[in-house]
Amino acid sequence: MIKTDVIIIGGGATGCGIARDLALRGIPHCLIEKGDFAAGATGACHGLLHSGCRYAVTDSIAASECYEENLILRRIGRKCVEQTGGLFVRLPGDSKRFRELFLRSCEDVGIPTEVISSTRAIELVPNLNPEIEEAIKVPDCSIDPFRLCLLNIRTSELRGGIIFTRHKVTEIIKSHGRCTGIKAVDQATGEIREIHGNIIVNATGAWANMIASLAGCEVPMTLVKGSLVITNHRLTNMVINRLRHPSDGDIIVPNEAVCLAGTTSLTIDDPDNLLTESREVDTIISEAGKMIPHFNNTRIIRAFSGVRPLLKSKKADSHEISRGFQIIDHENGLYSIAGGKLTTFRLMAEKMVDTIMASFNLKKSCETAEIPLDGQEELSGYPLSKRLADMKNIVCECELVTRQEVERIIRQTGTRNVGDIQHRTRLGMGPCQGGFCTFRALGIMNDMSVISPKQSMEMLRGFLQRRYRGIRHALWGDQLREEQLVEYIYMGILAMEKHE
Amino acid sequence: MKYEHCIRCTICVENCPVFRVNPEFPGPKQSGPDAQRFRSDRDKAEDEWVLLCSQCKRCEMACPCGVEPAEIILKAQQRYGLEHSHTPAHLLFANNYYLSALGSLTVPFANMIASAEIGKKAFRALGISTHIPFPKFRFRTMRKEKKILNKGTRKVAFFYGCFINFYRPDIGRKIVRLLSALNVDVVLPPQWCCGLPALGNGNLALAKYFAQKNASSLSNYIDAGYDIVYTCTSCGLCLLHDYPGILEIPQGKKVAENCYDVHEYILKLIHEEYAKPVFKETPRKIAYHIPCHLRALNIGYPAAKLMSLIPGLECDILDDTCCGLSGSYGFKKSNAATSIQLGNRAVSFIKKTKAKEIVADCGSCRMQLGGLSGLSAFDPAEILCESLGITDQK
Amino acid sequence: MSVTEYDVVIIGAGVAGLTAGALLSERGFKVALVTEGEPTACLSTGCVDVCSRDHKPLSGIHDLPPEHPYHLVPEKITGEALNYFKTAMMDMGLPYAGWAEENRFVLSALGTLKTSCLVPLTMKAAPQDDKDSIHIITFKGLKDFYPGYIVSRRKNTKFSVYDAGVNHTMGLASHFEEKEFFEKFMIWLERLNIDEDKIAFPAVCGMESAADIINTIAILTGKPVFEIPTIPPSMPGRRLFNALKGYFRKKGGMIYWSWRVEGTEKAGRLVEAVATHSEGRPNSINARAFILATGSFVGGGLTATRESIIENVFNLPVHTDGPRETWFDHDYFSLNHGIGRAGIIADSSLRPTDSPWENIFVCGGILANTEILKNGCGHGLALATAHVAARSCAEYLSHEI
Repeated sequence: MIKTDVIIIGGGATGCGIARDLALRGIPHCLIEKGDFAAGATGACHGLLHSGCRYAVTDSIAASECYEENLILRRIGRKCVEQTGGLFVRLPGDSKRFRELFLRSCEDVGIPTEVISSTRAIELVPNLNPEIEEAIKVPDCSIDPFRLCLLNIRTSELRGGIIFTRHKVTEIIKSHGRCTGIKAVDQATGEIREIHGNIIVNATGAWANMIASLAGCEVPMTLVKGSLVITNHRLTNMVINRLRHPSDGDIIVPNEAVCLAGTTSLTIDDPDNLLTESREVDTIISEAGKMIPHFNNTRIIRAFSGVRPLLKSKKADSHEISRGFQIIDHENGLYSIAGGKLTTFRLMAEKMVDTIMASFNLKKSCETAEIPLDGQEELSGYPLSKRLADMKNIVCECELVTRQEVERIIRQTGTRNVGDIQHRTRLGMGPCQGGFCTFRALGIMNDMSVISPKQSMEMLRGFLQRRYRGIRHALWGDQLREEQLVEYIYMGILAMEKHE
Repeated sequence: MKYEHCIRCTICVENCPVFRVNPEFPGPKQSGPDAQRFRSDRDKAEDEWVLLCSQCKRCEMACPCGVEPAEIILKAQQRYGLEHSHTPAHLLFANNYYLSALGSLTVPFANMIASAEIGKKAFRALGISTHIPFPKFRFRTMRKEKKILNKGTRKVAFFYGCFINFYRPDIGRKIVRLLSALNVDVVLPPQWCCGLPALGNGNLALAKYFAQKNASSLSNYIDAGYDIVYTCTSCGLCLLHDYPGILEIPQGKKVAENCYDVHEYILKLIHEEYAKPVFKETPRKIAYHIPCHLRALNIGYPAAKLMSLIPGLECDILDDTCCGLSGSYGFKKSNAATSIQLGNRAVSFIKKTKAKEIVADCGSCRMQLGGLSGLSAFDPAEILCESLGITDQK
Repeated sequence: MSVTEYDVVIIGAGVAGLTAGALLSERGFKVALVTEGEPTACLSTGCVDVCSRDHKPLSGIHDLPPEHPYHLVPEKITGEALNYFKTAMMDMGLPYAGWAEENRFVLSALGTLKTSCLVPLTMKAAPQDDKDSIHIITFKGLKDFYPGYIVSRRKNTKFSVYDAGVNHTMGLASHFEEKEFFEKFMIWLERLNIDEDKIAFPAVCGMESAADIINTIAILTGKPVFEIPTIPPSMPGRRLFNALKGYFRKKGGMIYWSWRVEGTEKAGRLVEAVATHSEGRPNSINARAFILATGSFVGGGLTATRESIIENVFNLPVHTDGPRETWFDHDYFSLNHGIGRAGIIADSSLRPTDSPWENIFVCGGILANTEILKNGCGHGLALATAHVAARSCAEYLSHEI
């Protein structure tokens, strides 16, 4: 049994941010995550560090929060934020009135904008649709959500925080009506762990209501599915937005060697059962193609969906539901923090920890906005071309991950899950989506004796099924051709069977 | 965006001669389409290993997806060349044309220096390998030839190239007489280095300079009703592929459309019944080494077809190996080990055929294979001339 | 315009195309083969899978669904095609084991037994059940082969690692053909004093002389030795391709590399020429008949767009199960993806049905309803249909004049 002060459930950006904030304020804590970090909405989004402009017209408070956080993260997280800058492009037929409203709202909030001609915009982003009327330059950035979580967690680890990934919370322990701890099951071994604490923070995003219900509480939420597509390579070095009311397929974000485009907006019930639909993919491609025509024939390597955990609202159109966040005090030692967005995760964590400090009657104030994220010195960060310096012993040929890197991660984390390697090195994130390199990564794990040969086979099977869910909706053209090759390799050359 | 067609099948890797023997080179797939996702105009080039590619283009010939890895690498080489300083060897080979011109003006002296121990030492100090003897300069270069007019209806302007001009003008003269014997008017237009050595040594500006001068000159002849005929397959590839391509020469397309490999041209004459050469019995057994750049020209193997018309000639076609020299590539000390290994492999294939003579269209292939095997190496035109009784003297 | 006259132009340099080419050249026709690049055969295990549905391949073929293209091939021809292949490969120094009456197994790099029919001699000694104890030799840092997968499946399996100083299959294959390396390696191998029944290698034992190398190791160690096919780059696949290519050339065929067909010239019910892109002059080849052997998606014969599936050379009508949603099953391992049935439907002369052209013949993986992975019928089907296509084509050419 472990005893601590604060138990955080959820290893998304919010949970990791809370862990860092608690660590900096010297509060003992323990974080439990059922999968890997950033496994929910955090990892299934554009990876856009909003400038706030997108919300300026509809929600000036959210917009202002975004802009402030944008400035903070650019300062404290240089190695996980790429300062791409962004453009809002106006296409022929897009409302001029909205443009005026947009500029005025941004000015009111205090976000710097610059109107530029279409010629100048095309100089900045040569792939832009040459027919755009004009563009507005904004301080949008691209952010790596997974790296962000890891860097936040690093601070916690350095200051004695206890972290359990791949542990699923099965029970909230109550005593005299108060929540005093949790039980979690180790997904790898089935072992049950009991952790006691004074305060439990439910930062589980789309799963918030499920966790709250373990304590007999409720978090009213609307779950909105958003789908995204990933391109083979970068089509733009800046974030591209459509200058109109938020709608489907109107944001394109460059991230590492790829671009993400999306999203869609469909209300769903079960966050564990997400299905991407062909028509969503077609919508995103055709909408993104209006801003960058190359989208219509470029190679899409993956299509996937995430869930936005939005606070329940009566508004019908989900694009209009507030992106603001809320801290719910269930008044039994359990707090739920819900809503919000990736850009404002630090602010959410600060408010949450302020609440915790108040309940503990402690005074130390938040420092997360001033101190740079720990552990950045080890990261290569940007630019991408640095990755080309060392090309020896490459295991993942798409994302140029070396055998040494894979071995380092295995040693550092002791992981038995190939997904952990993928998140930390980008192994398997490129065009082949792990089709070739996962066979190798599992072979290396087996060579290093962290998994048994039998496990490596099972994991390979599991991986291929999961991978297939991600690529299935992007299968045509070159991606289909490559997928047929991968299938030929596994089913033909390697004669793999579904079951042993 | 051809690189996004890559399906990682590794066929290009299997065909890369350099990858096979040099562990420092990541291979065409990783250097080409894989790395391309990480190259950006905004960042400094970090990929020094692109210089290890010999530009043999075998990857492009083998790729089933139209990716063109060699072209991607060539562009990366040019960029690396722009952003980093050049080694003495790169500088020398890029300017090979000027040096050779100097060499041919000072023939006995230049040849003496090049073959003497002191010369070899100097070469090595500059990073130049001496694993095979440097070719000998000739005094009577092609430039000094006069045109031959037959009053035939076909007129060609012969782009003979540096190798023929400076080192083997005798072959050049044979080709002129061969064409002339087929009732074709031959002129030797003003010409300079095709530009490939400069391109291959990372000097895009110099390559463009040469290309522009040649294109203007050849273009005049095309306007006057001449077809352009080349014999060096690497010059040919540069004229056809790089002038309209990476070198962006305005008349590039026009030049490319009117350029013929000399054997392709002769075949065309025969096919159109303009010429009816009668080949005499030539009882020889030869190994015909196909230069990588002939493969890349996409015209099949016309010399092989012509030689198949020669009675008594036994010809084994070998197109699976690269000789390893790739113009100036193998002369650089850093590439010498790779070059020698590849050359020896090619020689072992040749020896398997039991042929006593090598035939290859490309001068540098002949130099390497002849040098490493000790067999004599001929241009296909020499074989054709022998069979037709043509010599380089009138 | 650069024009060349041939009797037949074959499009595609895979097992089907090269075989059809050799057969037609043998009959005295002038044959040119054009190909965009090298074929999927290079990526294969080099084994000829005929039909894995039954222990007896010919009975397996009999049980295939009626629309399967194997039913267009008379049984006698399938047998002949396999014999022809074996003889041809023997001639090229790449001997094969096995016969049409019976399937056999090769050990896969995951430790499973892969069903095949004709296998390269270097794989002949592979275990046919789970009884043999095996000692696997692998190489330090080798990126595409992990013996752990095999050890997880098979009892009494061990492995040893040799440091050859190179981490890829191609480099190893080169090394194996160097005398000095081989001698050093053999000293190491003999010192292992292997107890197991058999010795296995990933398929890296040379390129041109693999059968000899395996044989030498077997003699020196006194144990049966066999190769395990690897994921691409696959040496056995390349050996097969090189041998087929050499055989076609030997019969007088001409190959045009990097020759992607980008246009055709037609007149009436005849295709007259195929053309490729060229930086210079238009580049086209005339012929009296054409054999389409471009393979399926991986080979490049078919391309899927978001809306439909296209045949890339002649734009022939393509059979599909339906729109994009029907191409893939929800279960990755089902082997029942609709995409496996896409292709060209042909009649018994292997002319595409519903096509206006009478001088086109189709063979190999581009045919519809093959379901190659499900039925385990890759190269076998290619060989059999190549024989039928070549026969129909020859018949057409002799009657045509």
